[in-house]
Amino acid sequence: MTLDALITACGWVPVLVPDPVADASGAYVSDLLSDVMAHCPDGAVLITVQNHVNTVAVCTLVGAPAIVIVHSRDIPEEMRAAALREGVALLRTPDDQFHAALKIGTALGIEKEET
Amino acid sequence: MSAPGSQSSVVPDERPALGETGNDPLVLLELIQRLKVRDVMTSDLVTLPRAASMQQAQELMRQKKISGVPVEENGRFFGLVSIDDIIRALVAGTIHESCGRHMTTKLVVLEDDMPLSFALRYFDRYHYGRFPVLNRDRRLVGIICQRDINRALLVELTRELHRLESDSVQQGGDGGAGSLYLLREFPICKYDFENAGKAANQIKQVLQEKKFPPKVIRRIAVAAYELEINLCVHSDGGVLSWQVSNGRAEVIARDAGPGIEDVEWACRDGTSTANEWIRSLGFGAGMGLVNVRRVSDEFEITSKKSSGTTVKSVIYIEGMPS
Amino acid sequence: MTMSEVAGVLQAEVLVKGDGMLRRVGHVMASDLMSDVLLVDEEDMLLLTSLASDQVLRTAQIVGAVGVVVVNGKPLPSSMVNVANDLHMTLATSRLSKYDACVAVHKALHSL
Repeated sequence: MTLDALITACGWVPVLVPDPVADASGAYVSDLLSDVMAHCPDGAVLITVQNHVNTVAVCTLVGAPAIVIVHSRDIPEEMRAAALREGVALLRTPDDQFHAALKIGTALGIEKEET
Repeated sequence: MSAPGSQSSVVPDERPALGETGNDPLVLLELIQRLKVRDVMTSDLVTLPRAASMQQAQELMRQKKISGVPVEENGRFFGLVSIDDIIRALVAGTIHESCGRHMTTKLVVLEDDMPLSFALRYFDRYHYGRFPVLNRDRRLVGIICQRDINRALLVELTRELHRLESDSVQQGGDGGAGSLYLLREFPICKYDFENAGKAANQIKQVLQEKKFPPKVIRRIAVAAYELEINLCVHSDGGVLSWQVSNGRAEVIARDAGPGIEDVEWACRDGTSTANEWIRSLGFGAGMGLVNVRRVSDEFEITSKKSSGTTVKSVIYIEGMPS
Repeated sequence: MTMSEVAGVLQAEVLVKGDGMLRRVGHVMASDLMSDVLLVDEEDMLLLTSLASDQVLRTAQIVGAVGVVVVNGKPLPSSMVNVANDLHMTLATSRLSKYDACVAVHKALHSL
């Protein structure tokens, strides 16, 4: 599913989407960057509360096309700049990790049914 | 009480000793009057006769890790060989000579049935590291040093606290907030992650046993946990204490450093001085003090850079158990 | 749905059966930050986490969680089992990722 379609389906606020047609094939939920580095599948959208520049670096490493920041946490300028530089999309939601995961799950699940 | 002969030239200290300032807790005062020197002293003594050499004394001090060797024969007390005496002997080249010749005889000694308060006064006035203890027959029965006193006080105070706790909990019979009294203190060590949170867990368990209202339990437990983690992660170590009386629960975190530079900043959402390692353990998101304030009815924080921080959370209790 | 049933749905191995095994799971939290967990007000919460530390259990006790499931099939230190026992807190591990666990629990909770 393209990022654009996913964002629409989930109703999230896009903060930065450098590549709207990037493919999002799944999701990963974690607030531990070491865990993201070890287990995040390629192409998965990262759902996390970790709103800082290191998260962007890790996403670039594992091939995550987007970061969904939960609990409406603010996105610092440094993070925004890094995301733009690395081509990682930034999204923000008032949902918590569990509900954000459900939304993506539903969107991807529906898409699976349709194909 | 002095040994025969005059004192060596030490100027008596004008500062008040422990127990004499008028500000000391009653429990402590009562303890230092109730306890006798013999309750606190070390009676398992290592001594030497006068004929033994200073070198033997030095060897004994090293082996047993003590800072003074009493010189006695069959219980008759003659003097004390201290580290100072050893140093002097080494410098003067008299280390092979007898203890009898080089020991300190101008000594202040204590009697075994003196109250501990006397001993404390003596420690304060005379600056000696230890005092020999004699009984009524002037025989040497022990030696007392500062460490013995600290240890004994700690043990007695802990016992006293437990007694107070169990006594006052049983008092709660006539119902109403005023009659319940609980008090505990927990020392918290810096970066002691193995135990981080344990105190708060114990506090919650007690609250549950005493059947406090669930919402109140939650708030007290959260305040205690956040404050405990703060002490562990951000201070050089300190004490977490909690007490319940008169319908109020107070959770207090006290540390001796490093102090908070900007208290306002520290109490804001999402600000933290935690490093990556601390974050990887699940802490340090900067929510601690904010959360404590959120669950508290009263919240106070005072901090001085390099002299420590005190955070106090007060939670009002309604529907107290009777 | 009880904690015990949820553990089944997650194909989880229950290492410690705490007091909450038969309690109803009403809310699910998928977080690795203990400070976020402490903000929760609900008393019937299941905690899904990637963090394998004693503090997870201690935090769970403070907020009265029904149980803790550590995801990604992470091997747990024995200290966690000891702490879970001390606190009577249900502790389980699941091979599922946190994302898959969230979806699975939600499906199970809402298919009733």
